[in-house]
Amino acid sequence: MSGMRSRKAAAAANGNHDAILDPSLTESQKNAALKNGTYAGSSDDVRGFEQAKRRRPAVVLPESTHGVTLANDGAIVALLFLGAAIVRFWKIAHPAQVVFDEVHFGKFASYYLRREYYFDVHPPFAKILNAFAGYLAGFKGNFDFENIGDSYEKAGVPHIKMRSLPAIMGSVQSPLVYLIMRETGHAKLIGLLSASLLLLDNAHIAQDRLILLDAALCLFMTLSLYSYVKFYKQRYNEFSPKWWTWMIATGVNLSLTMSCKMVGLLTFLTVGCAVAVDLWNLLDVKRGLTVRHVMKHFFARALGLIVIPAFVYLFWFWVHFKILIRSGTGDAFMSSEFQQTLQGNPMLAQARDIHYGDTIAIKHKHTNAFLHSHIDRYPLKYEDGRISSQGQQVTGYPFNDTNNLWQVHATVPLPEEGGSGRAVRNNHVVRLLHVNTQSYLLTHDVASPLMSTNEEFTTVPWNDTSRYNDTLFELRVDGLSKTSTSPWKSKSAWFRLIHVPTKVAMWTHNETPLPEWAFKQQEVNGHKDVNDKTTLWFVDELNPDPTASDFEERSKPLPPRKVTKMSFWRKFVELQMQMLQQNAGLTQSHPYASSPINWPFLLQGISFWTENTEQQQIYLMGNLVSWWVSVLFVSVFVGVMGADTLAQRRGIEPIARNVRKRLGSTVGFFVSAWAFHYLPFFSMNRQLFLHHYLPAHICACLAAGGVLQFIVVEEVAGPLSAPGPLLASNTSTPSHPQDETPRSPSGVRLSLPTTRSDVHLPRGAIFAIAVLMMLTAAMFWFLSPFTYGTPGLTNQQWLKMRLLSSWSLHFLPSMQELAQGKS
Amino acid sequence: MVGKSRGPINGRPSSPKAISRTYVSQLPTSIRSQLPILLPLTLVALAFRLYKIGQPSSVVFDEVHFGGFATKYINRKFFMDVHPPLAKLLIAGTAKMAGFDGSFDFKDIGKEYIVGNDRPVPYVAMRMLPAMLGVALVPLSYLTLRALSLRGTTAIVGSLFILFDNALATQSRLILLDSFLVFFTAATAYCWVEFCNEERKRAFGPQWWAWLLSTGGFLGCVVSTKWVGLFTIATIGVSTIAQLWSHLGDVRMPMSTLWRHFLARVLGLIVVPFIVYLLSFAVHLGVLNHSGDGDGFMSSAFQHTLVGHGMPDTYADVALGSTVTIRHLNTQGGLLHSHSHNYPAGSGQQQITLYPHSDENNEWYILAAPGPDDPPTPTDENGVPLTTGGPHESEKYKRKKVLYLTHGMEVRLVHRMTDKRLHSHESNRPPVTESDFQNEVTGYGFPGFAGDANDNWRVEIERGSPDDAPSSMRVRSLRTVFRLRHTLTGCYLFSHKIPLPEWGFGQQEVTCNKSPTRPNSLWFVESSRHPRISVAGDKSLGVDEDGEEDPVAVRPAKTINYLRPSFLSKFWELQKVMWETNAGLTERHVYDSRPKTWPVLRRGINFWSKDHRQIYLVGNPLVWWGATVAVLVYVGARAILMLREKRGASDFLDSTIVFYDRTASFLFLAYSLHFFPFALMSRQLFIHHYLPSLYFAVLLLALLFDLVTAGLRPRFRLAAASAAVGLVVLVYLEFSPLTYAGPWTVKRCERARWLKTWDFNCRDFPSSLAEYKTFPPAVHTLGQTSPVEAYDAAKAGVGGVTEAAAEAALGMPQPGQHAFEDVPKQAQHSGAGGAAAAGGHKAEPVAAAPPADAAAAAPPAPVAKPGDEENVFSIQPVIMPGDGKVEHHDGGGAAMDQEKVEAMVLEGTAGVAGGHHHQQQQQAAGDPAKPSAPAPAKPANEVPPA
Repeated sequence: MSGMRSRKAAAAANGNHDAILDPSLTESQKNAALKNGTYAGSSDDVRGFEQAKRRRPAVVLPESTHGVTLANDGAIVALLFLGAAIVRFWKIAHPAQVVFDEVHFGKFASYYLRREYYFDVHPPFAKILNAFAGYLAGFKGNFDFENIGDSYEKAGVPHIKMRSLPAIMGSVQSPLVYLIMRETGHAKLIGLLSASLLLLDNAHIAQDRLILLDAALCLFMTLSLYSYVKFYKQRYNEFSPKWWTWMIATGVNLSLTMSCKMVGLLTFLTVGCAVAVDLWNLLDVKRGLTVRHVMKHFFARALGLIVIPAFVYLFWFWVHFKILIRSGTGDAFMSSEFQQTLQGNPMLAQARDIHYGDTIAIKHKHTNAFLHSHIDRYPLKYEDGRISSQGQQVTGYPFNDTNNLWQVHATVPLPEEGGSGRAVRNNHVVRLLHVNTQSYLLTHDVASPLMSTNEEFTTVPWNDTSRYNDTLFELRVDGLSKTSTSPWKSKSAWFRLIHVPTKVAMWTHNETPLPEWAFKQQEVNGHKDVNDKTTLWFVDELNPDPTASDFEERSKPLPPRKVTKMSFWRKFVELQMQMLQQNAGLTQSHPYASSPINWPFLLQGISFWTENTEQQQIYLMGNLVSWWVSVLFVSVFVGVMGADTLAQRRGIEPIARNVRKRLGSTVGFFVSAWAFHYLPFFSMNRQLFLHHYLPAHICACLAAGGVLQFIVVEEVAGPLSAPGPLLASNTSTPSHPQDETPRSPSGVRLSLPTTRSDVHLPRGAIFAIAVLMMLTAAMFWFLSPFTYGTPGLTNQQWLKMRLLSSWSLHFLPSMQELAQGKS
Repeated sequence: MVGKSRGPINGRPSSPKAISRTYVSQLPTSIRSQLPILLPLTLVALAFRLYKIGQPSSVVFDEVHFGGFATKYINRKFFMDVHPPLAKLLIAGTAKMAGFDGSFDFKDIGKEYIVGNDRPVPYVAMRMLPAMLGVALVPLSYLTLRALSLRGTTAIVGSLFILFDNALATQSRLILLDSFLVFFTAATAYCWVEFCNEERKRAFGPQWWAWLLSTGGFLGCVVSTKWVGLFTIATIGVSTIAQLWSHLGDVRMPMSTLWRHFLARVLGLIVVPFIVYLLSFAVHLGVLNHSGDGDGFMSSAFQHTLVGHGMPDTYADVALGSTVTIRHLNTQGGLLHSHSHNYPAGSGQQQITLYPHSDENNEWYILAAPGPDDPPTPTDENGVPLTTGGPHESEKYKRKKVLYLTHGMEVRLVHRMTDKRLHSHESNRPPVTESDFQNEVTGYGFPGFAGDANDNWRVEIERGSPDDAPSSMRVRSLRTVFRLRHTLTGCYLFSHKIPLPEWGFGQQEVTCNKSPTRPNSLWFVESSRHPRISVAGDKSLGVDEDGEEDPVAVRPAKTINYLRPSFLSKFWELQKVMWETNAGLTERHVYDSRPKTWPVLRRGINFWSKDHRQIYLVGNPLVWWGATVAVLVYVGARAILMLREKRGASDFLDSTIVFYDRTASFLFLAYSLHFFPFALMSRQLFIHHYLPSLYFAVLLLALLFDLVTAGLRPRFRLAAASAAVGLVVLVYLEFSPLTYAGPWTVKRCERARWLKTWDFNCRDFPSSLAEYKTFPPAVHTLGQTSPVEAYDAAKAGVGGVTEAAAEAALGMPQPGQHAFEDVPKQAQHSGAGGAAAAGGHKAEPVAAAPPADAAAAAPPAPVAKPGDEENVFSIQPVIMPGDGKVEHHDGGGAAMDQEKVEAMVLEGTAGVAGGHHHQQQQQAAGDPAKPSAPAPAKPANEVPPA
């Protein structure tokens, strides 16, 4: 047994306190032990007891005083909304021109109104909202938002009404921030401070008063946080109607956030983590819940926070597909099958069945080159000393030419008569005869001219039977199952040509052209990765077999055809995949792209719009006071919590337990939201812009208020969560995170929760808050020419506006003027 | 079993035959006491790892690079590589000691080490070093497992799993870095485990210090071998933090002791590794002191420190009327350049580019822009400027007072050779980067044309050099960094790493950017001369044309050169370049793979294939899959334990569970930190990146074995161990022909293809082993018949048996049996010059003029993109700077070997003497060498056959 003992000792030496304390001693046993006087109690218990003695006496809790009341906060909320609306609507008509990304999102609104299919990397919800605003305003979608600076007035675009929707959504955010602060037990003034850090933020204002997506994104993100806080406060009333309502509201808001932009996923992560931690705590045996009960919690959350949101997310795509029924600019991003569901798509109009004996021209989907061959042969020896088969060249050639024509030959006997019996179908093995040189397409185990890893393509005379096997190619139409025998169609069907003996796919690329001996045409070779995305081809031109009996009939122009159907689910999956791929592909540089490290410090802005005659510029730039203060408070929080953790480890408790708990569950939540909305950007490779920080800034504003309150007041407001059955039945459980009521070592409540109490700010704090708010307002005023694009300033004035030298303003005095100014 | 059956599990002491087991609290495993097991273990390892190590006698896979680096070290030529130098230095050192003279270039996979050379390359000695480390890994894993307090049987099983893994064996038998990496990682882990044991016993004792410092030393070695060593640092770092955290919680320990613990670890685990890392670079930079093919990556100041890359001193002063060359600071694109070729699109005016080599076309006059006081340019009635006669503008500075170039001065830059002015305008976008905020930069003007306002540029001094006081006040050669702002449009002269297409000879694009990134808009004057400035000072020029005294012309002028960078600044620059290059390795490779496929061993790498033998990197599937299972078991068990804990079970009071949990957690931590970060990397990744994690996973597998067999009697445990090891050995032997490049048959090869995705080429093997008698031997020795002849003979002999031979009989050309085995692509670009290249480094110095002749010898090849240089086979990219190879700056008389000249011609950037321009030269040079190509003009015009 020495082994066991020594391991136990090792565990102890390792500082594993939990292992030493015997958890088998449950609370009730402790309780009993205490009564007998045999339980010494842990240091924690004693401290709690002593703290309790210092605190005020027990008062019975009246049930009705929880949360925010209309009488108490209604006026402030209304004022905040009004104030936010004023600064967002002020001169909203200016400029009556296309500004920055209105180029895209205005255009998308037009497409919705014209019902033309387009493609974009963002989910559709916010764009549908913009289009809806346009619809209400009577906009017909007859303007294309081509360039920044195009005039709205000439085209009659109701831009004021269209901009109003984002402006309203922006105005709601400040009151919401105030409410979140109040719901989490912060003083009114503190709530007001957080709200005004957002209300007067130039970046949010600039973004909110244009036809963009971020106002909607930020609104639903804030709503998600708000409803989650409301939900959490119902935790003693589990499975009550209110509990369900707020949970589902959280799920729906989260889903709407994600339906605006993919970064809504970060909000999901924020709330998801909080929920996971919450569930983990519920699982704790000391909580006294059965596993069955915890599972019930788990499934309820899975329903409300995963299943319902998924349906909401899908719903907007469903709407998206329902609206966009005509062919448009987005066709080219989608599969042929998808394109055929759109009215007026060329694929739909010209697709025909291909029969054996038909002559076709085959085009490579990726590079738009025709499969081509000509009498010239591969040189015997390449420059690197490798040798070729010296066969006839097969290349990719972008222009129309008779050498692009191939005839489809069957490898099995065909019925004599024409008709569908002669149709080429998916999975058929075919041979392709080059019409001009009467030779069959072939590939074999010889390295291609440019790529030693790929197989060479060549042809062999039609009467050379010795190479028969190498001329066999299997036809695989993209999107069809292996067993499908659907006919092969021109235009609409993308296919792969797989060489039967060696299993390579016909492929071409335009990275390096072939040398002079092949007239710098594209190399065609056999690609080993058969399922590569770039191995797709389609039949661009189809000449029916003139010898077949149904030649006449097949040569007639096609009657207009009805759109085909495709299930919503498949459409959705295809679009979603395409969005993710395109999003990851946005890596080219942009002059105003910036790396995330610059954002909180506002080192760079984005020039949205400039106007030369009056020297006006809209420059996306946050309110320096608001941004710097908020990020400063976030770092204060991280520092305080870090120091506190270290100190606790040494047995010192610099922060009172109830204060620390409250700080963790409120400000900790805000700061983690900030981190979730900010840090992941560091690992993204795509183009990043300052406005990606806007959701994180809202979280930072919330955190700033919380930290400030922590600094100036050592008290916490009375219990926040609504009392409920769970609270009553479990008074002996010690681990409700926000239950600050101190208890005796036995865990018995020493005092019932006190009445609702507000924290009272000392006078110094009120003064500090007032100064901060005034500074914010002053900075807002100073930077307002950036935000509203008016008034125009002279070069010298613009120079004064440039507070940081890294801001790239458009109108600045030249060096000469500067030198003169100095002298 | 958990929790209840503690007695039997821990009842080992009660069973007298059990291998004695040391517990955490008892003595640490001392190496001496393990010798009876270690010795035989090492002998077995030696036998299996060194068996036929000389086979094959040709270059395998990345030996191309790491052998090649040894050559470069021995020739002391500077090169750039993405890995730190330690392992490469060790290889080079071994080669040097074995008598290698650096005359073999390791150019292609499959190149024989013997042929055509009297003195064979000591490749066996070079392979021996990684192989010995591979051997040492086996006893090391044994010791580590013992140090983790696992049973002797377990330790033996674990170490044999390591020995009989085909992937570890393959990697360690070749001149590659991974054997070094895995060994150093394992050594770090071992020292750390021993340190932790010592920590519980006697902190701050001599042994404690020894283990701590050796952990640090090996950490330094890991990270000096490859940067993935940072994962090892992370592992040890997290472990250290956990250890300190637990000390912190020990309230009895005084803060002063805590600080001592902390500082000791800072010393041992941060300072020591850093010193090792720094030392490896000190040796690296000390050895590589000659100019080589890595020059182009480094800054000019760095290059200047390399022998054979010096630059003559230049005048420090820059004034109006100076003839200057202007270098771009941030990219290695070179000097502001123009030549008499026009842009094919846009304005169609003359090209402005960056060009890396010294050339007269890089020279510009700096002239004053006409101010408001100057007479306006004469124009005709339509406003078209009239041509003016008279001497060239630059002439007048011969008599004018010298005016230094200062901040804010408005100037024009006139290209000396073509007399065009550096010009920019709003109306056209640059040729390649067609963004709105970029304007085209051209050379514009014609003889006698006085220029227009779009030729004016304002000098904005960014910073001077602290050691040269005047350089912050006015432009000084090599010291002042400045920007050039286009006066009318406000954009800045800008360049970035975007090469122009063929018509621009692949030179770097120059644009005028309205919102440039600061570093890419910075320039400095590299050389400068002025008619009135001379070393001696010219008394005859003491008075200018207006009769005023000119103190500048009279005074002797100072000459200047690049500041010699300190070791630390060179070190730092190298780190940055390595980082950028590493991050840039994003192209796909035929054999690359994503991390998620590694634990299931989805696919291997074709290392080498020749004469019907192959080396294919594939792991021992039993070991790999077993290791993966062990990891999954740990994750599952840990999750269950945590849930049970939360629900009130007291598993963590069971010392057995605590022991296994702690040990496994450490191994799992090491595994995940060596594995999961790869998932975040977007660069090319290969299955051998998994080997360090595999090592830890195998240890975890051993731990699982220990746990599973815990309840068995020793005799049965031994039987289980033998069975497991026996199976592993059988599988190892099954795949051994791919590890040792041994003979194999098609049938057995197909049988060994357990997964369809393992793409070794079975069709290459003969149908019976007897056929190997007719093939060339695996190891070529001096005095043998040329392998090519032997091979031909062999083919004739087997005629009709193999498919390849059948094709040959049909008169078909030899198609290179399998596409993958063909000549690597790299060869395409360096082919025909082979003869010249052989004597490469020893070539007679060629004067600057001969490039044209050299070019004539070069084949007309497509202009190579930088990426094309990459070898399809080998992974380690051949790193070529985008601007091509580098020649000497002092145009005449310096050595320039033929190989470089070819490369330059291929890149379209050949240095041109006397101001010829490139294309003429290339065409003139290329024509005679062109094979008589078929004449048909355009395929579109082809007449279809009747």
